[in-house]
Amino acid sequence: MVHVATQPDRSRFPGLAEAEAAHDLAARLPRLVLESRRVSASLAHGIHGRGRAGPGENFWQFRPFYSGESAGNVDWRRSARDGRLYVREREWEAAQTMQLWIDRSLSMAFASSLALAPKVERAIVLGLALAETLVLAGERVGYAGALSPRANRQIGEQIAQVLAADATGAANDLPPAIPLKRRDETLLIGDFLSPLADIERVVSTITSNGAGGHAIMIVDPVEETFPFAGQTELIDPQTGERLRLGEAAAWRDSYRQRIASHRAGLQDIMTRRGLTLTTHHTDRPASEAALRVLSLIASRRDGKA
Amino acid sequence: MGGLTLFGTPLAFTAPFVLLALAALPALWVLLRVTPPSPRQVAFPPLGLALDLAPKRQTPARTPWWLLLLRLLIAALVIVACAWPAWNPLPASPGSGPVLLLIDNGFASAGDWEERQASARETLEAAVRDGRPAAVVGLAQPAGDISPGGATEAIERLRTLRPVSYLPERAAHLPTIERFLEQNPDSTIIWITDRTALENVNTRANDDFATRLRTLAGERDVEVRGTAFPAGVTLADTANARDGLTVRVRRADPRATSEGRLRATDLKGLTLGETGFAFPPGALETEARFDLPVEIRNAVARIDVAGESSAGAVALIDGRQRRHRVGLVSGAGADTASQPLLSPTFYLTRALEPYAELREPRGTVSEAVDRLIDEQATVIVLTDVGVIDPRTAGRLEEFVRRGGILLRFSGPRMANSDEAFVPVRLRQGERTIGGALSWDTPRTFAPFPETSPLHGLPVSDEITVSRQILAEPDANLPRRTWATLTDGTPVITANRLGEGFIVLVHVTADATWSNLPLSGTFVEILRRIIALSETAGPTDNGDAVVTTETVSPQRVLDGFGSFQSPPPTARPVARGATERASMEHPAGFYGANEAPVAINALAPGDRPVALDISALETTVQPLASMQNIDLRQPLLLAALVLFMLDTIISAISGRGRRRVRPRAAGVAASLLLVGVVIHGGFPLAAPAHAAPADKRQLPTISDVDRQAALQTRLAYVITGNDEVDEISRAGLAGLSQELSYRTSFEPGDPVGVDPATDELAFYPLIYWPVVAERPMPSGTALRKIDAFMKSGGTMIFDTRDAWLQNASSDASPTAETLRLRQILAGLDIPGLEPVPADHVLTKTFFLMDHFPGRYATGETWVEALPPVPEGEPRPARGGDNVSPIIITSNDLAAAWASDDFGNPLLPTVGSDPDQHEMAARGGMNMVMYVLTGSYKADQVHVPALLDRLGQ
Repeated sequence: MVHVATQPDRSRFPGLAEAEAAHDLAARLPRLVLESRRVSASLAHGIHGRGRAGPGENFWQFRPFYSGESAGNVDWRRSARDGRLYVREREWEAAQTMQLWIDRSLSMAFASSLALAPKVERAIVLGLALAETLVLAGERVGYAGALSPRANRQIGEQIAQVLAADATGAANDLPPAIPLKRRDETLLIGDFLSPLADIERVVSTITSNGAGGHAIMIVDPVEETFPFAGQTELIDPQTGERLRLGEAAAWRDSYRQRIASHRAGLQDIMTRRGLTLTTHHTDRPASEAALRVLSLIASRRDGKA
Repeated sequence: MGGLTLFGTPLAFTAPFVLLALAALPALWVLLRVTPPSPRQVAFPPLGLALDLAPKRQTPARTPWWLLLLRLLIAALVIVACAWPAWNPLPASPGSGPVLLLIDNGFASAGDWEERQASARETLEAAVRDGRPAAVVGLAQPAGDISPGGATEAIERLRTLRPVSYLPERAAHLPTIERFLEQNPDSTIIWITDRTALENVNTRANDDFATRLRTLAGERDVEVRGTAFPAGVTLADTANARDGLTVRVRRADPRATSEGRLRATDLKGLTLGETGFAFPPGALETEARFDLPVEIRNAVARIDVAGESSAGAVALIDGRQRRHRVGLVSGAGADTASQPLLSPTFYLTRALEPYAELREPRGTVSEAVDRLIDEQATVIVLTDVGVIDPRTAGRLEEFVRRGGILLRFSGPRMANSDEAFVPVRLRQGERTIGGALSWDTPRTFAPFPETSPLHGLPVSDEITVSRQILAEPDANLPRRTWATLTDGTPVITANRLGEGFIVLVHVTADATWSNLPLSGTFVEILRRIIALSETAGPTDNGDAVVTTETVSPQRVLDGFGSFQSPPPTARPVARGATERASMEHPAGFYGANEAPVAINALAPGDRPVALDISALETTVQPLASMQNIDLRQPLLLAALVLFMLDTIISAISGRGRRRVRPRAAGVAASLLLVGVVIHGGFPLAAPAHAAPADKRQLPTISDVDRQAALQTRLAYVITGNDEVDEISRAGLAGLSQELSYRTSFEPGDPVGVDPATDELAFYPLIYWPVVAERPMPSGTALRKIDAFMKSGGTMIFDTRDAWLQNASSDASPTAETLRLRQILAGLDIPGLEPVPADHVLTKTFFLMDHFPGRYATGETWVEALPPVPEGEPRPARGGDNVSPIIITSNDLAAAWASDDFGNPLLPTVGSDPDQHEMAARGGMNMVMYVLTGSYKADQVHVPALLDRLGQ
């Protein structure tokens, strides 16, 4: 028989344990894959060419030397081939920004006996681990509405500190509706159990400038299968609403239909707004979702590059 | 106070007060009605999405009344059962005092033991109901004080009482019965008897038992229960005779079993044969015979009567009935002992050992033959015996005429003697085939002739004969030939003499004349020849050879005749024992499986007879009184059935309506109920007297010992002087570190041991700094150190006084040296010598010439090596063993000790700047020496060996 438990309130604020678990996961993620991709595409993962000359490492073009420029700019090797002076220009490369947001509402502090970890813990571990991996790969990561993007090696600890301090943000079950810049990406981690209209409103605001992103939906296996039977009283931890079921098993099918349609609607919203949706069950290891999201990020980059 | 009897009906309750619990049933009803099960509360985050989904089906939360009634009925049944109702309880035994229940539990009572036990239990249960104390005495158990206890305990005792494989010594219990009766004058005596005794075995005492019991009982009635006559049959007197395996079947009464079947099985319990037996009308004895081939007969280990579960109906057969005693007499002198492969009896011994009991008496031929004949040998083998003196020849002839087999092997002595005691006439001298002066090649065996008992054995071409003794051809020769060579020359001849045979093998029993003794055919030939003695063995079974060797019980019979592991009271028997089973020696097999000694419930000749109990002047009551029914068991069974019904109903009708917890509780309750049913009702087949050997608890292993066993460690003796101990520890730690740097040996952290208390077996090397101020180690410690050194460990004694020794060279020993001498005086120390230059200790890892420590001047002593053998000097010598002791005075540990960075802790005394390094190398050599033994001493020969192989 399945047992469920609402986690203590503390669990929604990350502590040392989550940070360590995130470190652990980040250390296991295959940086090598990203590394090799960078070499082959001559594109740093994270350092993305802007398609014009500027500060960068890769050759962009030779242009004639303008008088008045510093003589040190002259590329003498090229200039020696004909009589004119040339300047070697490099492509302007800039790191991409990833805006992270982790749902820490009351509905996330939930774990059933089938799950490996509470939803919120899994969400935080995933978020911090991805943040660290991206920073290591040269990206800049920020936390939506609380931490400006940065490429600090200690990003995991910093986000954790922000999360620990941010009590008001913990109550929201949707990300702050702040539009992102065109080239930024957002990474939303949550259970997305809010009404679809609310989700659509927030997501469309975030992506209004054309930013894309990724969403990870954390699902407890119990929420998916509804394995209860017998006389049951369901309680919504967020709103406190109760539903009394004489025979829970009889309610199962209709519930499953409902959750499936919600999932489909969510997928639709995300796709329309340029976000990918990854569903992660807490009875699976966190690395699964992390790997999938990393590959999604990488493939999106490839597509844009 | 008695049980509650209900209104004249024959229903009685033993514990009527439990019925008061029935009053609680209505309360239970109300409680179950009033409190419906509360729903299970589940936190469920996605609820907000699905709040509007209407529940499809709601089921009632209340239990239907009929289900409630069913459960109340279950509760009522359990309560009533706990009140221990009995239908038609036994009329209480007369009297009101303690009940003394005597039970015969010899093998004769095994056949209907269940009924006997049931009869006894009824009596005891009646005593429980009447609140009378009771005592149970198994008459075959050892006599002990009888004290009346609670009847419930008596029932427990009764349950553990099992029939045993011998008959009870009833009279032995008379004194304790008498004491009991004196202390409890108002007691009642009940004797449940099997009415069996053995004729001429304590018959008087057993018959007297009834008389004397009558006397002891005085005015009291003695109630005797039992069967009308002893019903079982017994087996005894098995004999492996010429024409079959016979066994005597006996009964005590003509009305008992008159026919049946016997089954013969081997040691593993496989059935080898069956036969029937039938008593002539009125007869008390008959004989059954197994017609089986000799080999199969020899494998028979047990004969039992089918369907009769009694140790008396089992006859165990051991080697004395089936193995042959073969005597070996060699004409060669005793000097062959040093070269066993040249001894003619070596091959015979190896070939015959598995099939026969071998005797090889010392002394001259005539002495040996005398002894063998006295020892009832069935086969006597003479190897290369030339002349036999007339007296011995006379005895041998008588031996053969009575059925013995004389097997002779040729040899140089025989070839050159004028021999008469042979099956055929022989030519003087031997024939040499295939020798240097002969054109022939060695001859091989021809197939064995059909007239020969050896016919059918495979003949291998590899068997060749190069020398042999020839027979004079005469008319009898072909008949007497058992084996020939390919050219027709007889090589095994035999002659029948009386009941037995004289067999001559025309080659030697060793491999000098023929390679026959090296072949498998040799074994087969010997087996065939020895098997002949089956049919011609000496039959007079004189007094068995008395040996002092004892054999311990291996598998014993219980009263039912099935094997079990021996009880703790079973004691070893002498190998030659033929006694009947007793309390100390229960029937069964004793000794190793290869040659067990069988002790039977009945000795040869034992006849069962009916016990005379007329003196008791009472009639024998039947065992079973069928009227008394204990109602607990059916009530609990009914409750269990109803409970299952309840579970099924709830599973079908209201899937999931009931909560989880009550279901788990229900499972627990049903288990409890099953437990109660089993406990209260069914007599369990295996009572709680498991062999105590199983319960023996292994000693716990301390953590230190476990660590030491898991990883090899160096150890030092804790002297009690903290400073010295710390240096020892640091020194060994430093040495361990060096070892793992430089060698493939990675020891764990060193351990300090107290030889008096710690187990030393885990450590290869123990370092003992001798401290004069500390008290002498105790005797226990010294014994353990001695055992440690004897079992392969090495002690390093370090007196740490080389410096002092050097200073005072006037040979007055230091305090440490004196203390070391004291310690060594209590140990068994081999001869010592200073490490010689070629000792393997100097070469095990580094090449060393001395072993410095903090001081370099001290001498290092080890066990003295055997003297240098003649011939080529060896570069390294080590005895076969590692020296168990190394004595030094150089303070090794202080030189080994280093801090965490590898810097030495203590300075060395001496001019050598490398002394620390040399000390560490010496230590490594010692450890390697202890671990590898003399391996390096052999290793130094490798170049020479390779060189030689290359050539």
